[in-house]
Amino acid sequence: MAQAFPYTYYACDCYDSNNTSSTKRASQLLQEADEDERTFDPRSPRANYSLYPLEHLLYCEDCQQIRCPRCIIEETLNWYCPSCLFEVPSSVVKSDGNRCTRSCFSCPLCTSPMQTFSLDMAGDVAPPFILECQYCRWSTLDIGIEFDKGQGIAAQLARIGNGGKHIPTNKEREKERERRKEIEGRKSRDLLSPSIESTNTDPDREEGPPSHDDLFSNLTAFYKSQVDAQTPSNPFSSHDINFSSPSAYSRIMNLYSTTGSKKNKRNKPSAMREAASSLEGLTIYDPANDAAAIERIKKEGWGVTLSPAQKHAQIDPNVRFVDELRPLATLLCTKRSKRCRSCRQILTKPESKITSTRYKIKLLALNHIPRLSIRALNATPPIPVASRTTDTLHYNALNPGMPSHFLLHLSNPLFDPIKVTLATPSTTPGRVQSRVTILCPQFDVGANTDIWDDTLSSSLLPIKRGSITDQAPQIEAGKIWDRGRNWTSVAVEIVPGFTDAVGSGVPDELEEDEDVLEIAIFVRIEYETDAGADERGPGDSRGGKGEKERREEAFWTVVGVGRIKG
Amino acid sequence: MSRPIAKKAAAKGEYIETDSGNKVSRRSAITGTANITLGGRTVIMADVVLRGDLHSTRPTASSSGKEGTPTSISIGKCTVVSTGTVLKPPCRMSRGAPNFYPMKIGDNVFIVVGPNCVISAIAISSHVHIGANVTIHPFAVIKENVKILPNTVVPGAMVIASGSVVGGRPARIVGEVGEGWGVSGGGAGGGLGVGGGSEEKWVEGGDLRELVRSIR
Repeated sequence: MAQAFPYTYYACDCYDSNNTSSTKRASQLLQEADEDERTFDPRSPRANYSLYPLEHLLYCEDCQQIRCPRCIIEETLNWYCPSCLFEVPSSVVKSDGNRCTRSCFSCPLCTSPMQTFSLDMAGDVAPPFILECQYCRWSTLDIGIEFDKGQGIAAQLARIGNGGKHIPTNKEREKERERRKEIEGRKSRDLLSPSIESTNTDPDREEGPPSHDDLFSNLTAFYKSQVDAQTPSNPFSSHDINFSSPSAYSRIMNLYSTTGSKKNKRNKPSAMREAASSLEGLTIYDPANDAAAIERIKKEGWGVTLSPAQKHAQIDPNVRFVDELRPLATLLCTKRSKRCRSCRQILTKPESKITSTRYKIKLLALNHIPRLSIRALNATPPIPVASRTTDTLHYNALNPGMPSHFLLHLSNPLFDPIKVTLATPSTTPGRVQSRVTILCPQFDVGANTDIWDDTLSSSLLPIKRGSITDQAPQIEAGKIWDRGRNWTSVAVEIVPGFTDAVGSGVPDELEEDEDVLEIAIFVRIEYETDAGADERGPGDSRGGKGEKERREEAFWTVVGVGRIKG
Repeated sequence: MSRPIAKKAAAKGEYIETDSGNKVSRRSAITGTANITLGGRTVIMADVVLRGDLHSTRPTASSSGKEGTPTSISIGKCTVVSTGTVLKPPCRMSRGAPNFYPMKIGDNVFIVVGPNCVISAIAISSHVHIGANVTIHPFAVIKENVKILPNTVVPGAMVIASGSVVGGRPARIVGEVGEGWGVSGGGAGGGLGVGGGSEEKWVEGGDLRELVRSIR
């Protein structure tokens, strides 16, 4: 997701820390020593996977570390359809798959949701019904499908094929298979008189190659019979073990008994055979099908074929043409709780109700990690909205070689004052080298005390920004720019590098986003807090006020300042 | 599309502020004011069009025979409707006549910077952030904590489940907002540049009270 300048990303070090702790070799140890010295390179390919906006990060209070989407485990709480917002029990998800079984469909052409409409001329809600996409106007009429009822579209659609053909259910397929088997058996018996049975088969069932679903059901039936034939003595096949049944119990007992009776029972298994006829799910490649498809494309052009994305979205993988499309049942969504990967503590747990957006547990990095932000110094103090358009222009065209000043702003979410140390490499990595100087790399940020102090004071004196002195702040090395209740801002001088200097030295052009000015800043915070304040409830906060614990936190951030004018 | 500076300095002021703290630009085009409710501390910027006149014409049977003015647009608290946005209640043909349905917008919705959003959604819940140049077709439903990226077209009758990020034409879900969506870290109060790494005082999807206060 492209973000507007300026932005801040926080690096989670989970990849590196996991890597070193698991497997260490002597050479790696040496390397590691080097890596401690190494600065974070926002341009390295790996950085893509460790940088996140602060909103996406969680914080494990036990490990006292940031947790990114890569170092948490997710647990599915429940499934729901994002369109009708009904919860789907997990048993149904297991049996029917991860798609909505009500009337939620999306358009196979453009993915937007489809609506049920009545085709009744009088304007009443009466059959026939169709599904229509409100965005591209594709409707089920295009594939020749109409519905008798306005509800339960999924069930109706499962029975109607394209062009209004009837799709047999599993039971009907089974019957049909039996019938065909019988015919085939008879065929082999009286080969001499083929004229008799040809009258028995009805012709319409024989035409055309079997559909994808037919093949699948034939194959599954065949393999099921094969597996059953393999384990005749076993009353239960491997795929439906029922532990509560007495037979399963006796089998388990049998496994652990030392009599060895099992050995004499077991015979050498005969090899399973593969499907050998179309009745068993075998399809023989027919070049005529391909020839017909090519002929059709010749005649009607590319317009009748599908784009790869449309084809992938279809359930039947062999779909090629627009008239074979089926409306897509909406994919289900999940509500998930998240745990820390190393200590298994729950980090977030949403309420299980679908309509609720609240969380029972939510440990955000936002509440533990200072928020870092940057803005241009000469930009007008943010009058939101209106001035934004001019500002973004500014950030998108930084003058190369011109020293410009930015304000780095740190706000503290903790209830204790923190000591902050910032560090950054003096030149940015990569071919476009910009010089960066943080004028005051060490400073304090006040505690996030009672919010009412600030609200009250700001409502009385709206102009007051919490400045320490009344005079206008100056850019001076070793001095902070401004500070407030729980925030401090410092000035940063940046000399953007030359983009065309690259062109002269190296023959090839600037790569994508190489002119983006990103600064890696190492943030280290130190603070003293009540020892074990996390364990105690809010009620007995007076208990251990005496003992203080020193804590330290350090992490890399990447600040996107802007784009250098080329 | 930024407001000219001279206009801001005018003696009368750009906005008319109501008792409940709503700020309505003098240059907005609002029709059918009787059918519009604003929840308080809501900002209607310049060149916004609110079509309150497009209210339901069908006689309301459920309201126990009470003759009241039908509501066509209701907007919650601390919602900011930015310049050039058009809010038009959705319409459906029924028995040959167009019938309009009331539109409901929740609290802390920010229909952002971008001019020229055209919105006909039937319902937009709270903490929604709508980017620039977004078109929302009739009868779309947008749940809580949704971010709509700029230049998106949300097709009609689409339901956007809570916590999703949508973008594209037609809109499809491209991601999830993080758990920290709308949480302003540790009491954002005071100071510049608290939001999202950039310089705004507010957080996308968060409490917009600060922003509303700063608009004058």
